[in-house]
Amino acid sequence: MKKTMIIICLLVFSAVTSSCWNLKEPNQLAIVIGGGLDLSQDGQLEVSSQIAVPAALGGENNGPSKKRSFVVVNATGKNFMDAGQNLQMQLSRTLFYAHRQTILVGQRIAEQGVAGQGFLKYLDMIVRNPKSEMRSVIWIVKGGTAKDILATEPTFDALISTTLYSVQMALGMKPYYYREFLCESLPKGGAVLLPAISTNSSKKKFIYSGAAILDKEHELHLIGFLNPEESYYANWIKGRQKTLTVTTSESQKEGNISLRVKSPKRHIRVEKDAQGMHVHIQLHGFGNIVENNTSLDPSEAQDLGAIQKKLSQEAERDVVKLIQKAQKQYKVDILGLGELVHQKYPHEWKSLQKNWNDTFSKMTITAEVHLRYHDPGQTNASM
Amino acid sequence: MKLTGWQIFWIVATVEVVMAIWLRISPAVEIAKQDAWMSMLLSCVLGGAITYLVVKVGMQHPGQSLTQFSQELLGSWLGKIITIPYFTAWFILSGDVLRSFADFIHLVLLDQTPVWVLMVMILGAAIYLTSTSGITGIGRFCEIAGPVTIITLLVSLLLNISNAKWRSLLPVMGDASLKEIISASLAPSSFLGESFMLLVLLSFLSNSKHILKKTMASVWMTGIMLIITTIMVLMVFGTAVAQELRFPYFMLVRSINILNFIQNLDILVIFIWIFGVFAKISLYLFMTSYEMGQWFRIKSWKRMMWFSAPVIFIIALSIPNEATIMLLQKFWETIAIPVCAIAIPLCLWIVTSAKRKLVKTDQ
Repeated sequence: MKKTMIIICLLVFSAVTSSCWNLKEPNQLAIVIGGGLDLSQDGQLEVSSQIAVPAALGGENNGPSKKRSFVVVNATGKNFMDAGQNLQMQLSRTLFYAHRQTILVGQRIAEQGVAGQGFLKYLDMIVRNPKSEMRSVIWIVKGGTAKDILATEPTFDALISTTLYSVQMALGMKPYYYREFLCESLPKGGAVLLPAISTNSSKKKFIYSGAAILDKEHELHLIGFLNPEESYYANWIKGRQKTLTVTTSESQKEGNISLRVKSPKRHIRVEKDAQGMHVHIQLHGFGNIVENNTSLDPSEAQDLGAIQKKLSQEAERDVVKLIQKAQKQYKVDILGLGELVHQKYPHEWKSLQKNWNDTFSKMTITAEVHLRYHDPGQTNASM
Repeated sequence: MKLTGWQIFWIVATVEVVMAIWLRISPAVEIAKQDAWMSMLLSCVLGGAITYLVVKVGMQHPGQSLTQFSQELLGSWLGKIITIPYFTAWFILSGDVLRSFADFIHLVLLDQTPVWVLMVMILGAAIYLTSTSGITGIGRFCEIAGPVTIITLLVSLLLNISNAKWRSLLPVMGDASLKEIISASLAPSSFLGESFMLLVLLSFLSNSKHILKKTMASVWMTGIMLIITTIMVLMVFGTAVAQELRFPYFMLVRSINILNFIQNLDILVIFIWIFGVFAKISLYLFMTSYEMGQWFRIKSWKRMMWFSAPVIFIIALSIPNEATIMLLQKFWETIAIPVCAIAIPLCLWIVTSAKRKLVKTDQ
């Protein structure tokens, strides 16, 4: 018995020691940090990968001779993995996707899709491949291509792909990960809002440029953009905004005032009656006054009331404008109201979901905003 | 060879929990949508009922395993025949588990290594454990691996709280009908109903105090872990994505991202999958060999391992594709559980009770 055990142990041991099938040293890998999708001139899918050059990352900065810390390679193909194989032809190391931090989608491919098919068809590959990464953030490139953004030099870090999620954090939003994009895209009805980025005029730096609207009822084709300010309010309604600054409009001759809203709250009520669905959106926000160029003094009850009223009214006007834009201009549900209807009226939703955007654009939606100040800052009246 | 009540508790839990969590969540979500957790709740009740029945039957014949008491009860021939379905079910289950294990490791970790090498390695380890210490060793292993598995599961779920949205559980009972919820609960109950292995395990019990409570608690703990994980999967992925994922729990662990710093924990949880599968394969290797020893009335059951281990390996190797694994799971749900966990134990229970009554009236 003991002998057989020893033989078995030896067999197992030999299997362990000889099984180097999966050995891959880091210096055999080309680590993909960011991926970009574009449509090439002749309408083919073009995949760009930003690949880290580890030798140039870290270590001391040896003056002007420093190598670039990344390269961007691109190739076309029938689908993503086909293009990936074509990418491989330009590299001496195996492509390794497990550290991809960012996925960028160019405006043209988002609008037109590949061969007329929308983005929806291509969601699968990122989840199917076990080496692939679901924690990547996803952005749409407004008015440009993904490879332009990948080639920009970030200010603080070595690689732009690792910094994009902190752009959203710095703007007070929750980073938008691919997992959430997938979870929002698959249920029927409405549209998905993706953050948008563009290059500045010199093409060297990036700039946050609002949100992109992907219509779920048309295979996630891109149908338009929200500007940055609209995107903050849309994110507030969707519960993705953690802080934002509301400023009254400048046209008032008595000057303007800014409130930095912390922990914005939302309360959305869906009601059904004989005329159909009604939605009432209530937004509440507390914050500090961070700038006051008016003659109003927040330490006086009367002025305080006026300040709060004015801020709330202006924010409310912006929210109503945003709703109008969604209902009249784009005619898609960018605010995720469909999901709320689904949750409250699951039986009605079964018939509504097929044509939800239609129903949404004809629905009565009202909004109110209540902003209140928490702290006036270090001064009372404006100095 | 003896087992304590707690060892039996941990054997049942370790062997059941990992498989159920790995393989049964997305099929349930596919049918019952966001009410899948209710299906899991229902499967706890069904699994508990099967366990109750099996423990009652087992405790009528203390110190005797299935093959022994069925032969005593029904005579040599009939007693032997009714154990054949059990051997079939256990061999197929362990072959299926071995294959699923190797396929998964092959998919996520060692994609260049041949699948059979992975199977040989885990089977070799199982043979080692079973042949050196039998059921005692398996019991001791589960006593350690079980709590580690449960704690790892709980921690991995806790780390996902920041990703969870409780609204994804709404609407409750809106999208799925009651019929769908019930039909979705059958597959997970068949995994919990695997507790009919107690028909053999109870014969090694050293002290039968509170054993019914302990075994029921074990199945229910497994069921509760299944419910919590299902709720978490639904809250993180929503129904539309959860039903498409093959290994939703594994994807859940991959989604952990705390401060962009605690990430890529998926490799760390693979060990619970290995623990669970290792315990399961060792246990079935032991049970099939031991019971076959009893069947042929051979003193040294260890010799039967020369038969059981190759059979398990060949079954695992001859599974051609994923569709067959699905088919085998369907077989387990529609044939193995109704026959081995319900019909035969029920018959044995009735026969034993009737016989004892007859003996009493004779006196």
